[in-house]
Amino acid sequence: MGTISNEIRRLRFEHGEMTQQELAEKIHLTRQTVNAIELGKYSPSLEAAFRIAAVFGEPLESVFHYSEGR
Amino acid sequence: MSYREKSAWISLLSISGIYAFYFWSVLHSGARAGGVHVSGLLETIIALAVVQTVLTIGVAISAPREAKAPRDERDRLIDLRATRFAYAALAGSVACACFFGAFNPPIIFSTNALLFVLVIAEILRTGCQIVQYRRGA
Repeated sequence: MGTISNEIRRLRFEHGEMTQQELAEKIHLTRQTVNAIELGKYSPSLEAAFRIAAVFGEPLESVFHYSEGR
Repeated sequence: MSYREKSAWISLLSISGIYAFYFWSVLHSGARAGGVHVSGLLETIIALAVVQTVLTIGVAISAPREAKAPRDERDRLIDLRATRFAYAALAGSVACACFFGAFNPPIIFSTNALLFVLVIAEILRTGCQIVQYRRGA
């Protein structure tokens, strides 16, 4: 199984220290789900991933990274 | 703790407590009475509805924003996983109940055995939801 990491925490910081709640409201998810995504405990759907990338104005691959596991 | 997780705790604790009291009362008096505890079951269902409604309203008042928000994709996934887990347990338990039903037990046993497996399945479902919310997945 591969692992998905992300740059959401850094991007939130670079976008005026956006809170998890603010991001959650923009992408129609709960704050707990945004937190779980940030910590890598939950992999979002493709649609949610695109919405997150769109909020930061970044391409998907700049926000999410996939690496093959052992 | 999120609103959804609190709701799951309310379901788990209220179902466990109220049905434990119901089955305890059936074991101590129902078997001797020889009838199905219709009034007792009705009281149990009403008590469960009242307790869950009051506690859920209390939690919703403390976090109105979360309570109004619809379930998101993670909530739905957690619910689906929990339901799948509980369904497997329910199917196995019903099969066991049917097996013992072949020995012609008293009606009170069969009825309450089926009710018992339904309650256990619901407890497993909410328990599974809580575990997933705790893990963050």
